[in-house]
Amino acid sequence: MKSQEDLTRVMETYGDMVRRICFVHLKNRHDTEDVFQNVYMKYLLHTTSFETAEHEKSWFVRVTINACTDWLRSLARRKWVPLDVIAEESDSLDSPSAEILEIVLKLPEKYRNVIYLHYYEEYTASEIAGILGKKENTIYTWLSRAKGILREKLGGEWA
Amino acid sequence: MNENNKIRQSLNGVRATEEMKKNTLQYLLKKAEDIKPDSSTPKTGTPPQPFQRHHRLKYVLTAVCIFLFLGIGGYSVYRQPVSYISIDVNPSIELGINRFGRVVSADAYNDDGQLVLQTLSLKNAPYVQAIDTLLANESASGFLNEDSLLVFTVVSSQYASILENLNAAAFSRNYETCMYTSDTSCMEEAHRHAMSFGKYRGYQELSQYDASVTIEECHNMTMKEIHDRIESCHGHQGGSGLQHHGISPMGTPVPVQPASPNPADPGHHGKCHKQGG
Repeated sequence: MKSQEDLTRVMETYGDMVRRICFVHLKNRHDTEDVFQNVYMKYLLHTTSFETAEHEKSWFVRVTINACTDWLRSLARRKWVPLDVIAEESDSLDSPSAEILEIVLKLPEKYRNVIYLHYYEEYTASEIAGILGKKENTIYTWLSRAKGILREKLGGEWA
Repeated sequence: MNENNKIRQSLNGVRATEEMKKNTLQYLLKKAEDIKPDSSTPKTGTPPQPFQRHHRLKYVLTAVCIFLFLGIGGYSVYRQPVSYISIDVNPSIELGINRFGRVVSADAYNDDGQLVLQTLSLKNAPYVQAIDTLLANESASGFLNEDSLLVFTVVSSQYASILENLNAAAFSRNYETCMYTSDTSCMEEAHRHAMSFGKYRGYQELSQYDASVTIEECHNMTMKEIHDRIESCHGHQGGSGLQHHGISPMGTPVPVQPASPNPADPGHHGKCHKQGG
C-alpha cells in the first residue's frame, strides 16, 4: 500500500501532466476531476514498483490516456466541445494560447496525443510509440499529419 | 517563437489546481483506509467508480460467454447420435439416438420409408416411444400385418441395453420380430448401396447361402421375403415357434433373453421370435 508521502510526491510530480492530458481529451472540468481521481486510484492499487523515474512517468502518461479513452467510451461522451473546456480555463489562458488550444483540441484523438507528448512532454517518436503501443512509423505519420493540420489552420511559423 | 514553444506556452496555463490535488489526496487516503482492513471485501454503500463498473461489465460478459459456450456445447452433444437402430419391414428406416436415448435423426432408405416419415415427427422422442409411433403408422398404412417380419438391427456400444428395451416393448410381443447387432463399418457399406444397415445385414446373410443373390434384388424384397429365402436355403422352415439366430458382422453375442431360449446355440448374434396372438 502506498504511503501518504508517496501519494503527495506523485501528486506534485505528475499532477499537472495528468491534468493536461485530461484537458486535451475530456469535455469539461467535472470529467477531468473524475478521471484525475481514477488515475491516482490506479496508482494507489498499483503493486509493481517502477524501475526508474522515467518508467514511472510513462506509466502515468499511458494510464491517463487510457483512463480518458475509457471514460469517453463508457459514457459515450464522444461529442467534442473544445470551447467549453477552454472557457473553463479562461482565467489561466491568454488569447493566443486559447486560439492554439482550440485548434489542437479539434484534432482527432490520436493526433492530440502525439502533439501533446511530442511538443509538451518532449518525448521522441520512438518513446511515444512505446507508450501508446504503436509502431514508430505510425507515430511519425500522425505527427506529420497533425502538424499539417496545424500549419493549415494557424499559418505563421507552422507554415 | 517556434511551434514547440507555442504549444508549450499555450498549455502551460493548464495545471492541476491545489483544490483538485487536495480533494484527490483526501479521496485516496480514505480509499486506502477502506482497503486496508480487508482488501478482498469491497465496502458497501460506496458508489461504484467508473473502473469498478468496467470490471463488473467484464464479469457479466464473461458469464454470458460461459453460458453461451455451455449452451452451444450442450446442444451439440444433444444433437450427436451415438447409437443407431435400423427398423426394416418393407419400409426401411434408421433412427439416430443420442446419449440421452432420444431420437435425433430419422432417415428413410426406400420409398415406403419416405412415405411413412412424411407424416411423422419422431425427433426428440424416446426411441422406444418413437418406434411405437412408427409401427402404429406402418400398421395403419398397411405395411405391417401379421405376416410381416419386423427386423431391428442395432449399432451401438450400448447395444445390450437397447436390445433389452426393444425386447421388453409391447411391439416385440405383437409382431414377429428379429433383433441383430451390427457395426459402423457395415453401416457405412450399407449406406454406399443406399440401403439400411438392417436390410444390408439380411442381404449379407442370404448371400452366404445363395451366391446368386444381388443387392439390387434385395432392394426390392421385403424383410419377410429375405428371411424366408434364408430359411429356405438353410433348410429350416419357420413355424409358429420360429427360432433363428442371424449372423451379425459384429461378432459378439446379443445378450437379450430369447423368447424361446436355445441352449444348444448360445453364441449367436441375433434373435427372432414370434409371439402368438
